[in-house]
Order: sequence, then structure tokens, then C-alpha cells
Amino acid sequence: MIPPSVSSFPLTVYSYIQQTFNSTVLIIFKEKTMRTHVLLLILLFGFINAFAQSNEVDGSSYTRDEKGYELRTKMTIPPYGLAKVKNLIETITFKEDPLGSSDGGIEAISATQFKSLSLREKFTYVMIHAELSQQNCAIPEYQNDIQKRIFSQLETGFNEASWSQRQADFLMGNRDSVMKLIQESVVRSKRMGVNYKEAILEMNALEMIPFIIRYIKSTAQDNDALTLLMLLMKRGEYDEFMKSTSYQKLYGTDANYYSFLNYNKANEVLICERASRYYKEKTLK
Amino acid sequence: MIKNFWILLLGMVICTSYSFAQEQRFIDIEAGTYILGDTLSLDNPRRAVTLSHFSIAETELTNEAFAAFVASTDYITLAERYHNAMVFEPGLAEFRWLQDSTAYWRFPNGTSRGGIEEKMNHPVTCISYRDALAYCDWAGVRLPSLEEWEVASRAGSQTKYFEGVELDNIMDYANIWHGRNHLVADTTDGFLYTSPAKTFKANPWGLYDVYGNVFEFCEGSLARDQGRKVAHARGGSWWCSKNSCASFNSQYIGSVNPNASFSNLGLRVAKKK
Repeated sequence: MIPPSVSSFPLTVYSYIQQTFNSTVLIIFKEKTMRTHVLLLILLFGFINAFAQSNEVDGSSYTRDEKGYELRTKMTIPPYGLAKVKNLIETITFKEDPLGSSDGGIEAISATQFKSLSLREKFTYVMIHAELSQQNCAIPEYQNDIQKRIFSQLETGFNEASWSQRQADFLMGNRDSVMKLIQESVVRSKRMGVNYKEAILEMNALEMIPFIIRYIKSTAQDNDALTLLMLLMKRGEYDEFMKSTSYQKLYGTDANYYSFLNYNKANEVLICERASRYYKEKTLK
Repeated sequence: MIKNFWILLLGMVICTSYSFAQEQRFIDIEAGTYILGDTLSLDNPRRAVTLSHFSIAETELTNEAFAAFVASTDYITLAERYHNAMVFEPGLAEFRWLQDSTAYWRFPNGTSRGGIEEKMNHPVTCISYRDALAYCDWAGVRLPSLEEWEVASRAGSQTKYFEGVELDNIMDYANIWHGRNHLVADTTDGFLYTSPAKTFKANPWGLYDVYGNVFEFCEGSLARDQGRKVAHARGGSWWCSKNSCASFNSQYIGSVNPNASFSNLGLRVAKKK
């Protein structure tokens, strides 16, 4: 079975069309008035250029919103015992070994080391280092115009890793302290990194909904904070949200990992007000 | 006399190694310039790539083939050494896996979820990229590059799937997850985990299971690796659904720690033509 190699057919067609257009322009130019056809020439030139951009082989007219993507994956680094924790992580991070022996992918500090950390240092460790291997699908779709979308899911800041059970247990076991540390850090840095959002979700910290709403209103646009509110409502199976068209679009039968709502002020207000009602329903019971 | 004996023994070892590689049928891919990638991707942008001749296995590497390697070499996989394999069971939230100290290639989802005794013609899983390289060294083959894998999987197509496949009929071509989520077991296509090689239809060039069944390790690095050593795998797996990562196509490229073992990660070998 011999696969065919690829010819340069699309480029040839493009060249032919470009030549035809150029010839046509020259003929018309002689017969009609100059003013009309200078305009026509400009229009045709624009058309040909647009055609070329959408058919080029060595690139794409698609551009990823680099700044938006960076914001979606940016973590917030807590300051508590940071140097000490970084030194510990340095001793366990995988290093390429040309002889073939390796650490076996164990990227967790020992139980004794973990136990010896203070609560704040543990918080820093968990926020900047995930111990467990994870597969990263890195879905490439819809990474343009990120600020115009409210996605159904958060990105990850940990690449090919996720929190181990020990780390998840730490978050749950120290829920109140962790929520307080996150709030302190967000107020100070005016940014809620993806690791903080993941921690809030991991702890199902619906008590933080008023804080998240204040953050949304007072901080530069962070659409993933709106995503976080919706994920909290989804996790709590909040009836009003489950019956909404937003829910169907983001988490319904045909939804996928990169489903999104268009960002606009009305949607922002709707999500915040709905989350606020969810918070009141849960906390007033 | 002794010298001759050792030469004979060495020859036998070499022949045995090659015979295992040769048992597998390979598809020849001609040298040429191919259009790869996706206009939506920066890691894998649409572009023309020129490749030399190569051959690629028509199926994913089976448990039987890996067992022959282990029998011949007494090789111990990373999952066996470090007890850090990641397994799946229905009921887990999306993208969640469990670490199971009992799991390795003979029990890819842990001892409590059964072994491979009746699944020797299924793809080997629960091996790491490092283990895949060790197999290749022994068998005289190699992993395909990211580009080679894509050329072979596309079989001439320039779209997301090889010719004939759409999301509506992918069930005929790929062992994937059809449930809305992973909270409940899904055996819609007859398989919860892996399926035997050649259960589903081949692509136009004769490769089976290029989509679904197991993610296949490839060689290569991407800009998103940012200099870190990352293993890449392609084609999606039995775990992937249209609602989650939907990686069962010729465009996406997955990433994983090179020492990590998952029960949906395996390999398809390649070699110089």
C-alpha cells in the first residue's frame, strides 16, 4: 500500500487565480476611467491577499490569544516559606538521566518531610507542586479571543501532574485556613491563579462565593472566575443552574471540554447573581 | 571452540530479538511531503513536512509481544519498581485517575480489576515511555516520531480524521468511551477498557486502532514542553469521549510524565524501511 505524497496543487491554483485577476485588472484599466478602476484594483488586491492568507500552507490565519492563554494557566505563588519549599521540590523533581536509571516518576517529598512543614508551608507546597502524574490532553481548540469567552472548564497550571490524595486531604482537612490564605493572597496580589481556583473547587468552597464575586467586580476581567462560580453551582447541583440554557450549553449532552458562553456584561451579571442566590440557599438552610 | 560457542550464542540472541519484531506486520510509508497539523493549533500548526521512508506496525503492541520481551530479558517496568501506576474505574470524576500500587502491565487496572491472561491480543498498557523505549531497544524497532505517526494515521487525509471517519460513525473504527461522563461504566462498543487488536476497522493504509484503544507514545518535543522532558502520545484511548478530551483524531498531541504508567497508554512501533 503506497500512500500518495502531497502535490503543490493548492499553491498552483492560487498563482493561476492571481495572474488571471492581474490580467483582468490591466484590461479594464485601459477601457474605463482611472478613478473607478483604481478603486477596483484596491478591492481586488485586498481580495487576493485575503485568499492567500486563508490558504497558506506554512502557517495559519488562526492566532492563539497568548496573553489570554497565559492568564488562564498562570498560578499564584504563595510567599509562605517559599525558598524552603522550592529547595525541597528541587530534590524530587525529575531529572533526565542518560544512563537510563531514574526516580521512577516519584515526585513527592517523604511523609516525614511533609509532616515537618508548617501549615502555611504545606499550603505553599501544595499550591506550587502537584505530586501525582496526570495526562494532559492540551486540547488546541478555541484558544483565540479568550477574553470573549467564558469556558466550561478551567485550564491546568500543573501540566502533566495533579494533586495526590495526601494533598487533597490537606486542602479538605484545613479548609478554613486554606480559604483564609487564598483570600489573603488574592487581596494582596489582586490575582486568583488557576491553582487557587482549582483548590476552591477541590474543597467545594462555596463559602467563598461572595469573595469571588467581589473579586470579579473589582479586578481586571478574569472569565475563569465566572467559570469557577458555575463549576461550584454544578458541583452543588443547584437546581436553577441545572435547568438553565447556560448549563445545557456548557455541560449538557453535546457539550465538551471547550464549550463556552460568549462573554458580555449581561452574562457576567447573570452568573454572579445566580451564584449569589445559590450561596444564600446553601448558607441560610 | 569456546569462542565459536559465544559467537553462536550471540547470533541466536540477535536472531531471537529480530524475530519478535518481525512477527508484527509493518506498513511501508513512502518518502514524501505531507500536509500535517491543524489551523487551530500552535503546537501542531498546519504545515508541509518532508519525511524519509519508514515502516510502522499495523497494530498497537500487544500484551503477547511485551510478554515475550519480559520473558527474554526479565525486564521490570517502572510501575513494578515504584508502584505508582495510574488506573481507572467507573465512578471517577472527569480526568480523575487512581494511583494503584498493585497495577502494572499484567494487571493494568490493578489486581482487583483482573489480569491480562485472556487478553494477550490486547494492546499492552500500564507501561511508561521509558518502558516503551526499553522494548524498542530489545526488539530492534523504535517509536514513531510525532510527524510519522500523524502521516500514518491520516492516510492521506488533511482533515481531523482519516477518510471515512466522522464523529457519527467513529464507533466502527475506534474503541472509545461513549458515556456522557465516567461516573457509570460504558460498554456501548463492547469494551470497558482495551479491545483486541484489529477489532475495529483499519484506516485506508491498513493501520488498526490509530484512534482510540490506547494512546501511542511517540518521539518528539513541543514548544509547550518549555525544555522539560515530556513524553507525548497520540490517537486517544478507550477512556476518551467526545465530551471530554476527544483526542481520538490525527491532530491532538497528549503529554505525560515520561516515567508515568497509565492503563490507557501503550505504543505502536516503527522502523526504518
